[in-house]
Amino acid sequence: MMRSPPICLFLIGAMMMGTGKAVKATAEEEEFREELTLRPLPDGKVAAHFSFSTLLRGAVPRAPSSLGTDDTSQHYSIFPLALGQILREHAIPEFHLTINSGKWDYDRWGHPGEPGVGSGAELWAWMGDGVQRETSIDERWKALQNSLSGLFCASLGQMHTLHTTSPARAFPPTGDLPRLPAPHKHSLRHATLPAERVCTENLTPFLKLLPCPARAGIAALLEPHKVFDANWHGLGVHVRWRAGAGVELVLSVQAVLDPVRISVERRRDWSLRSLFDRSIPRSCNIATSSVVRVMLPSASEGGSYTLSPEPWLSTEDSIASYDLTNGTSELDIAMTWPEEQRFSYPLDLSPLSDLSVRRTLKGSSQTHGELSVVIRNNQPVTVRTHYLETMPWHVEFFLHTLGVSCGDGTKCDYLFTNMAYTPSQPHNKPALLQATIELPPHETVHLSLRVHKAFLRYQEHRPDAQRGWDLPPAVFVPVDAPFRRIYTSALLVDLATPDFSMPYNVIIMSSTLIALVFGSLFNMLIRRFVVVNLDDEVSTSTQ
Amino acid sequence: MLSFSFPLAFIIFLPFILIVEAGHDLYDGNVPAKASESSHTNNWAVLVCASRYWFNYRHMANALGMYRTVKRLGIPDSNIILMLADDAACNSRNHFPGCVFANRGHALDLYGENIEVDYRGYEVTVQNFLRLLTGRVEPDVPRSKRLLTDDRSNIFVYMTGHGGDEFLKFQDSEEISAFDLADAFEQMWQKKRYNEIFFMIDTCQANTMYSKFYSPNILATGSSRIRENSYSYENDDDVGVSVIDSYTHFVLEYLEGINKTSTTSMKDLFDKYDPEIIRSHPGVRSDLFHRPLEQTLITDFFGGVAHAEVMDTDFMHDSSPLVPTSQVDSIIKDEHSLTEVLSNPTDGTGDHQVRLLRAWGSVGVIGLLVALAILNTKR
Repeated sequence: MMRSPPICLFLIGAMMMGTGKAVKATAEEEEFREELTLRPLPDGKVAAHFSFSTLLRGAVPRAPSSLGTDDTSQHYSIFPLALGQILREHAIPEFHLTINSGKWDYDRWGHPGEPGVGSGAELWAWMGDGVQRETSIDERWKALQNSLSGLFCASLGQMHTLHTTSPARAFPPTGDLPRLPAPHKHSLRHATLPAERVCTENLTPFLKLLPCPARAGIAALLEPHKVFDANWHGLGVHVRWRAGAGVELVLSVQAVLDPVRISVERRRDWSLRSLFDRSIPRSCNIATSSVVRVMLPSASEGGSYTLSPEPWLSTEDSIASYDLTNGTSELDIAMTWPEEQRFSYPLDLSPLSDLSVRRTLKGSSQTHGELSVVIRNNQPVTVRTHYLETMPWHVEFFLHTLGVSCGDGTKCDYLFTNMAYTPSQPHNKPALLQATIELPPHETVHLSLRVHKAFLRYQEHRPDAQRGWDLPPAVFVPVDAPFRRIYTSALLVDLATPDFSMPYNVIIMSSTLIALVFGSLFNMLIRRFVVVNLDDEVSTSTQ
Repeated sequence: MLSFSFPLAFIIFLPFILIVEAGHDLYDGNVPAKASESSHTNNWAVLVCASRYWFNYRHMANALGMYRTVKRLGIPDSNIILMLADDAACNSRNHFPGCVFANRGHALDLYGENIEVDYRGYEVTVQNFLRLLTGRVEPDVPRSKRLLTDDRSNIFVYMTGHGGDEFLKFQDSEEISAFDLADAFEQMWQKKRYNEIFFMIDTCQANTMYSKFYSPNILATGSSRIRENSYSYENDDDVGVSVIDSYTHFVLEYLEGINKTSTTSMKDLFDKYDPEIIRSHPGVRSDLFHRPLEQTLITDFFGGVAHAEVMDTDFMHDSSPLVPTSQVDSIIKDEHSLTEVLSNPTDGTGDHQVRLLRAWGSVGVIGLLVALAILNTKR
């Protein structure tokens, strides 16, 4: 392109002069903060939590009643336009999308920084009533799924009614909801796709929403090969409205990395470079604050360690902080245990979470099974918790078989209160079981419930039908701490699968039978059997 | 100060006048569009891996190899529809998370750090594929999952998977037949959804899949004849499965030598087909295609390089709001046309020469003025 440089220079210069002011004016209304929290865990792993939050100061979610009319024009300098358009188009005040891979081990890793850690994809949104039918909540919910699936390269479009429930008790809004005129109110839509996986194609569009994607700031650490090599990893997109402040978008990435596995000498020493294959090259200039925090392990579990470089901010509450906001130099944090030759896995790991939950599906039969949930309260106080079980229609509960027993085997049904059950609609809607469980201090409670496995229609089977169906995780939400949700592991149910070549066998077999039986019968009925005297014919013809 | 401002204003405005002049003249150099040249203004690619399961890793690698090539040759992600029926990169069986390799020794990671998969997993169905081609999608379907082509679009359709005589299996549970595909292309033609289609398929008995096409402007090629298998190229012991198919490996290797400005034609590619190396007999069907293959560039389908359509200067002045957007594209037009014009003085008319000289002259003047301005301010 020999001919273009002088022309280009002029044009670019002119454009910069014109737009420079506009960018600055709007940047003050938008605020971007980024934070990375690293938490060395007692079992030698490191939990990393990236959080990128953008605040659109003074913005108010679109009122559903204005959906038919033209919207005000949107202009953002930091807030991603692609997401802003989705929020305005469908008038969504709050939504949460998480796509995770793996099972979060609460006992060993404690509570995650961002509570949405259920396996697979989870999407929930609070939406206000629309006026017309085309702008009803369910229509917009479907449109939201499709828009997000296009934006994040995920198969969320499959979250149709088959997966959608409305468990408002377990998922209260995390922000505020705008006031709506009298008859209208907000309601929740929640759906999960437990088999959804997260990979580079999800991270690519995710990074494109950030103002400093993979070049500067802590987002530079998000190298897909390392992130997806982690023992557990997940992406999250959270949008909420805070009255008085504005619309807040939080993009989060969480990962549990294993330095012991990477290390040749089986040591638990880690550095940003060893965990992510990169260090932080420079700060993201757009960020109002950019902080890296390292949660220091307590003396009992951590042994003696060294942290380099020295924390730039004061070390308080066993948190070492590094403020990158105005830093220009490269940062590579390293934590070493010089006295430790080799990491020895601790044998007595006391659970780090408030509750320990184990959920299994028992029984080998293809028609019946038993759902078993074991909940242990790890705290010295009584804990009340919501229990939420969403079941696709192909696993039906026999509610009368619900049994609750305590650790010593005695029946303690009285712990199970406030139960609400929405039965499933075959081929259409999932079942929803909600209850409140009261857990005495250090008590273990067993729940058991017999289930019926449905027989699917031939067309309803997945292409890999033999693999079974993934069931979404159950959720426990402590009444006192509604944002410390606990997700159980997802389950796999083995449904009766037909021999998929059977229809062809049937067609071939019945065709053969028809040919044989009908054919010969038809022959017998239609054919006229006569005796032909050949000699006569011959004699007549010769004559 | 006042005495300074007039020359300054002159210096600032003169270049713009000259740019307009120079721009017109320079762009006129692109005009000649021979009959044999493609008249497309945009490129699209639809890459389909129809196979699920880990042992079909090579089909994922086939599609991703094509994805990497079309992206390298200039088709942007927004114009590529990638369908992968399974997740090979983040599969729990994959020893190299986030990587898909197409050769032994892991030289090149096809998944990379920047990839957009538009249809994945259970979404890859015959229905979704046909809806994508024909544009009969629900209104909610996002832009990235639509084929937003027009009658000036050149589309490269690549399919891979397990197939047989006139069918290709999707996800091992349903099939698309050669008739379905031919009808979909006909519907696209009737709806003016393409200018030309280059159809490539790598599967067993692949050549049967294009045998039913009947719509114009389709060039098709396949990996193997009827009653003939297509084989994989090589295994990798660390990945544990075959990593790529023989035919696709051959084509990709050939395309590695192509860049955005390459003048290599389809005929060059087809002539290189060697059944000995590929281990099957690739086929070509060009009876529906109206252009001679030796004048059909590979970049007409694999590259995102659009040919600009430049109108007369007078016409442009008359109806400036109607200037097509392709005008902008002409900036990124491949350079060979300009170099051709420059290197063959006998080829162009004298008038053309003068205009070109004037254009370059004005660029030179602009350069001089800029230098002058810089010198002035420094003083």
